[in-house]
Amino acid sequence: MTKENVQGAAEEEQQAQSKKGLKKQQKEAEKAAKKAEKQAKLAAEQQEADEDDFAKDRYGICPMVQSQQKLDRALVRVQDLTPEKAEQQIWVRARIHTSRAKGKQCFLVLRHQQFTVQALLAVGERASKQMVKFAANLTKESIIDVEAVVKKVEQKIESCSQQDVELHVERIFVISQSEARLPLQLEDAVRPEGEGDEEGRATVNQDTRLDNRVIDLRTTTSQAIFRLQSGVCQLFRDTLINKGFVEIQTPKIISAASEGGANVFTVSYFKTSAYLAQSPQLYKQMCICADFDKVFCVGPVFRAEDSNTHRHLTEFVGLDIEMAFNYHYHEVIDSITDTMVQIFKGLRDRFQTEIQTVNKQYPSEPFKFLEPTLRLEYKEAVAMLKAAGVEMGDEEDLSTPNEKLLGRLVKEKYDTDFYVLDKYPLAVRPFYTMPDPNNPKYSNSYDMFMRGEEILSGAQRVHDAQLLTERAMHHNIDLEKIKAYIDSFRYGAPPHAGGGIGLERVTMLYLGLHNVRQTSMFPRDPKRLTP
Amino acid sequence: MPMYKVKPVSPGDIKIDLPTCMYKLPNVHAQRMNCGEHALQNGEVDPALKALEERQDEVLRRLYELKATVDGLAKTVTTPDADLDASTLSRGPAEAVFRGTADLDSLLGKDLGALRDIVINANPGHPPLSLLVLHALLCQRYQVLSSVHVHSSVSVVPPPLLSCLGPRHIDSYVRQRFQLGFTLIWKDVSELQMKFNTQSMCPIEGEANVARFLFRLLSAEPQDPVTVTQMDSWIDTAVFQLAEGGSKEQAVTLRSLNSALGRSPWLLGQEFSLADIVCACCVLRAGLNTSAAANVQRWLESCQNLGHFDCVYPLLQ
Repeated sequence: MTKENVQGAAEEEQQAQSKKGLKKQQKEAEKAAKKAEKQAKLAAEQQEADEDDFAKDRYGICPMVQSQQKLDRALVRVQDLTPEKAEQQIWVRARIHTSRAKGKQCFLVLRHQQFTVQALLAVGERASKQMVKFAANLTKESIIDVEAVVKKVEQKIESCSQQDVELHVERIFVISQSEARLPLQLEDAVRPEGEGDEEGRATVNQDTRLDNRVIDLRTTTSQAIFRLQSGVCQLFRDTLINKGFVEIQTPKIISAASEGGANVFTVSYFKTSAYLAQSPQLYKQMCICADFDKVFCVGPVFRAEDSNTHRHLTEFVGLDIEMAFNYHYHEVIDSITDTMVQIFKGLRDRFQTEIQTVNKQYPSEPFKFLEPTLRLEYKEAVAMLKAAGVEMGDEEDLSTPNEKLLGRLVKEKYDTDFYVLDKYPLAVRPFYTMPDPNNPKYSNSYDMFMRGEEILSGAQRVHDAQLLTERAMHHNIDLEKIKAYIDSFRYGAPPHAGGGIGLERVTMLYLGLHNVRQTSMFPRDPKRLTP
Repeated sequence: MPMYKVKPVSPGDIKIDLPTCMYKLPNVHAQRMNCGEHALQNGEVDPALKALEERQDEVLRRLYELKATVDGLAKTVTTPDADLDASTLSRGPAEAVFRGTADLDSLLGKDLGALRDIVINANPGHPPLSLLVLHALLCQRYQVLSSVHVHSSVSVVPPPLLSCLGPRHIDSYVRQRFQLGFTLIWKDVSELQMKFNTQSMCPIEGEANVARFLFRLLSAEPQDPVTVTQMDSWIDTAVFQLAEGGSKEQAVTLRSLNSALGRSPWLLGQEFSLADIVCACCVLRAGLNTSAAANVQRWLESCQNLGHFDCVYPLLQ
């Protein structure tokens, strides 16, 4: 009986096995069927694709441009696409700003620097479905060459800079493809802060921008800021050259710290060490003693200050002026303020587009100034501050909040963002500042302010070797270290004065921005060394 | 024994459950218990009530007094000559005009070490001629640091406007040596504006008002209220009818100027005043000087002879 049972059991097992087997087989069959289906579908599509792609030679990814051939092709810039070119067939090289597919059409926005234009690719006689799909799948920021017909549009395209025209694409080729995942999105980088918070859309914070500076610099705002900065530099040079100044280049590796030992970078110099120049001060003065009369220099300035503020960098571009005068240092102040006013006028008249572009993302009041520049005396400033309720001593230096308050008071009364404060107390100025002849507690020194922040510190320099030695000893400075400097005044030195501004800070304050890193291409501060 | 008697409808001793939250009245149906309540109806007055009545009388009396005072003031305002006996006003000799320096500290507040700078924002399309005349007068009395600036809102200003305050003072680099600052800024403003002490003063708008302010600094205001009012009236006429009015109003004003000047050498009598300055400037700016009547022409010549108007004529071309 057990045998039968066992047999029965075995049979059952067999049956079970076969059941399992059957199931397995069934499953496999299903899988195979599905696979076959898929393959058939693909094959069908492929066939379809091969069949219908009549536009195959009108799109694609170009091989890397290794200067294989000289193509006699004129590329039109996006900013030149205007209704005058309507119905013309032209080639454009630009980046893909956005691409959006809608059924049988693909809308692309092409961008070159600050200018954007809309391009349309529709399935039709000239474009196949595959071509439209290809265009829709192109990654953002890729550089493409497009041959298209310029068409006028009846309704203005508000979102682009070229609002009156549209491109109808005939051919589209990729010159340089971008990776699909961008570290930051350009639309986010251009979005104003408030708008981002309100609508829940992202804005990019400063550190991300600075880490991916190459992409951040492509935004319209950044392009505008740095073009304006270039304008500042150019206007500075042009104005001074017209006034008879000579441009000089001063050494940046120097043997002794000029402004005080604490804030210098040390570099190893063969068997000894040297310092990176904190300012071209000493060399400018030596040039004056060498009879160049009026000099200016544009170059980097290195300050090893461990301050992480919105307006300090460890390396910045300094625009420095030094000038010999006849009888009174106000001749120099007038010259410097006139240069600044010419720079402001030039920016106001020639860079309005850039200023408006920056204002879209960072709104601010337009910069106001008076010509000739307003000049107040330090005593007046102290009286104004005291009248406004601030308690300070007559010979105390102005603290940053006091400077800002003073800026606001001056703006209220005179409606100017730029002014000069003359006759600072002697105690708060460097040792080479000439004391006031009538009052030993004051000095012939001045500061210039933009929007309440200091941009220039200058003075009449001591041009007498003996007085200079006395002042240096008074400030407990080691005479050995500045021997060469003092020596330059021993062989006849004209009375002279000057001052220096920081290019980044001036641009920042002119545009009303709030952080100097926005106006420095690759900023350096105590926490940032790359890119 | 009363004539008619009605049988009581309800017995007087029903206990009614009355709410105790508000007032409680005695039961009118019950027998009168307290004869003291009669006293009030008999004419004797509760002392608390008496005090209240007295207070009310006092308040009403004060109210009537105030009303009388206000009525009196209203009368004096609306009919100036009615209650005011003009003969009692001291018609002393008209204050010597433009003599003696005023005490700037008493006029403008204590000097805290800052130059007292008067800032005037004017539109280069409408130069304030009367203020230029006043500037010349101020320069004779005080040490004034004058400067002209062009604001960034204006791109080009014709050269005569840049030198309208005269040549720069040789000491102008030492601001401390001056008593008063006069800063004229050519700016794109719709209405002339003056700012002086932004902490305690709001800006003053309008050429006439700024002219009145500057005139007071000369301490040459007539002391006599009637004359002051006449001066204000001439200034307003000049500003609203000569400068801003149509040709008809201008003609009317010129006629009244002519008749006033027939009676006395200057508009207010024997002395030159702000009224003459403002009226003359408005006449000159409107270009009416050439076609004006004899008295007005003579008066304009007298103004020019005083020398204060020299700064104005170059700007009229």
